[in-house]
Amino acid sequence: MNATLFNPFTITHPTTIQTSLVSGASFARFDPSGKLLAAGRPDGSGVIWDLDTRATVRWCEGHVKGITAVDWSRNSRYVLTASKDWNIIIWDLASPCDPPQRHTTIRFDAPVIAASFHPRNSRIVLALLSTGEPYIVDLRSSHRGRFELGGEDDGDEKRTIMTTARFDPTGRHVFVGTSAGTIEVYNTRTKSLVARHRIVGAGVIKGLVFANGGRRLATNSSDRTIRQFTLPTYPPPPEPNTTYGSSKYQIVETELEPTHRFNDPISKVAWHAMSYSPDGEWLAGGAADPAAHKIYIWDISNDGQFASALDGGREPLLDVHWHPHGPRLASTTKDGNILIWHCPSPERWGAFAGGFEEADENVWYEEGESEFDLEDEAELALRKKLQEDEDVDIVGGIEDGTSMAPLNDVMPGDVDLEWADEEGELDREDWRMKIITVEGEEVY
Amino acid sequence: MAGSYTLPPSGIPQAISGEGLEPSSQTKPNYRAKYVLGGHTMAISSLKFSPAGTLLASAAADKQIKIWHVYTGEILKTFSGHQEGVNDITWSSDGEFLASASDDKTIILWNIELGAVAKTLHGHTNFVFCVSFNPRSNLLVSGGYDETVRVWDVARAGRSMKVLPAHSDPVTAVGFSHDGTLVVSCAMDGLIRIWDADSGQCLKTLVDDDNPICSHVAFSPNSKYILAATQDSTIRLWNYQNSRCVKTYKGHTNRTYCLYTCFSTVTGHYIVSGSEDCKVYLWDLQSRELLQVLEGHRDEIMRQQTHPERAVIASASMEKDPTIRLWFDDANKR
Repeated sequence: MNATLFNPFTITHPTTIQTSLVSGASFARFDPSGKLLAAGRPDGSGVIWDLDTRATVRWCEGHVKGITAVDWSRNSRYVLTASKDWNIIIWDLASPCDPPQRHTTIRFDAPVIAASFHPRNSRIVLALLSTGEPYIVDLRSSHRGRFELGGEDDGDEKRTIMTTARFDPTGRHVFVGTSAGTIEVYNTRTKSLVARHRIVGAGVIKGLVFANGGRRLATNSSDRTIRQFTLPTYPPPPEPNTTYGSSKYQIVETELEPTHRFNDPISKVAWHAMSYSPDGEWLAGGAADPAAHKIYIWDISNDGQFASALDGGREPLLDVHWHPHGPRLASTTKDGNILIWHCPSPERWGAFAGGFEEADENVWYEEGESEFDLEDEAELALRKKLQEDEDVDIVGGIEDGTSMAPLNDVMPGDVDLEWADEEGELDREDWRMKIITVEGEEVY
Repeated sequence: MAGSYTLPPSGIPQAISGEGLEPSSQTKPNYRAKYVLGGHTMAISSLKFSPAGTLLASAAADKQIKIWHVYTGEILKTFSGHQEGVNDITWSSDGEFLASASDDKTIILWNIELGAVAKTLHGHTNFVFCVSFNPRSNLLVSGGYDETVRVWDVARAGRSMKVLPAHSDPVTAVGFSHDGTLVVSCAMDGLIRIWDADSGQCLKTLVDDDNPICSHVAFSPNSKYILAATQDSTIRLWNYQNSRCVKTYKGHTNRTYCLYTCFSTVTGHYIVSGSEDCKVYLWDLQSRELLQVLEGHRDEIMRQQTHPERAVIASASMEKDPTIRLWFDDANKR
């Protein structure tokens, strides 16, 4: 709502630190509404921050070892925390207490190093264990199960270690990065391998992020380079019940050629994390500099040109995450502080005067032909009346930059998305987080 | 209605010039008093329906806040705690809290279920005149005679997050837009200001030529317009994007008090206002035609409020008749 009153010609990437949240965290993730922030702490607690009040609203305490990943469900009702204590806990923020109620606990037999919700359904969870095995855990009653991706490998070579795993933004595929510099693409529904991409010279794949549409992918790898790729369209997977086995089905096996490579040519710094802006026009990279807090921003719409380096002081950076709607970033420092970056719009003092417009340059005022003529009052009143006869709409036309973009409607026959939408009604939009009043100031 | 016109130059008679009006003008409101609620001993300053619509909260100069059952008219709870008269009350969107602004310079946050004070907010240096929650109810905005607008963290209500040096006269009304990103305030200096809720920056100032004292402002349900009542007995609907007044409503009397005005969108689209001639006025939103006048109170009507879901209006009046009347429109039930 406020966007329409601001100057539309402002820069759309963050430029300065707005606030610093003392959180003891190692990373932080905005929720899809952009009003909350979940931070994972090495002591095993997850902290939910309210960005309106810049205060903590919930402490998710249930893990006994460090948090390795957090994720938000689509309507922000559920928060997932994954930990080195072999557990994933899903918290229900609609429960009226602090710490919030556990909705589900998923136990594995190894530390969990990454986990996320399916983008369309919070009852489907992707988890990656430190042993290098990715699992899809389906919590829905009709599909319940735990499925290892790439489990029944052909056995021709030694198993590659999976180092990172993510759903693409539609949730149709799971992208898995390996220690051998390849990206494997699995169909979420059938859990079958759809494609394997070799990325030349990458080394170990350390991270994957998608631009919002899901057509572009950026990888971070051990060769200290962030690469951006344009993804091909993948053919539908083989139906497991028809011709069993993948022998007949040809998986896509290609080398992906990056459209852009981003690195620091001078100090050759490695990257801890990267994040796209919501429109996909900017890419932020958090530098793994041991003595500085630096975020590089590249202008993707301008052929990936380097745009800016944000300097966040001397506390080294661990993680960076772009806000889901605006020019804001959250970056986490090694000391556990979360820096919130924004792009301040300059104070317009002219806004304090009624009917006053600021002009950038002097303007010659051209008087209209009858501008200062005295007019018949009855005629003026009539004109005003006619003007006021125009209908106004006081209830409709609500379009919120801050609310969720609607899920793309599923085309009939799109089995992947229809499958994903089954039993998804728990995470509804109309939930509300209870305000819990706090006595005094709490100590972190 | 203003003006007595002959035919417009086009020759089209007046009755046709209002074509394309909402069908709301056909379903005329037909409100009748159903309950008269007595209990307050001094002028009633504020009335608010709970978000679910079953409860009505009222506040008065007798320092008390009462919670009434809308469909039975019973007093369910009486809160006392303020040292001076109460000026305004507001419900949190889940109905769990009520915030009250008082002449004792504090705001009290009441826990409805426990019937007790949850927090007392100190910070204003003079009478607090108006309060409002944001839609998520994690922020509270208030304005008062110290000419500031303050934003409070509800969970940690001890601290005022922002103090906006908003006006040069007492602030008479504050409110959030439906998405919580904008705050509107108005004051006795006659200015209406729109603020960015996050940064506290002033984004716009609306002012009428004659600069009358502004009694009350509110965003329309979709937050595209601002409804403002001024003490020249006029209510204006502003398009704040282009700073143009798109509708004016006249007929009532408002010269002295900060009368409240609001939208009614349940059966048709109406503008509802109290008046200093002891009546409640209802206009059609589009045609600006006066549709109904509710008579019965015996003193100036400071506050009235429309029910969030049903065709019910609550009104309350001042010193000589400190009662609340509940008006039901049974013909246009919904």
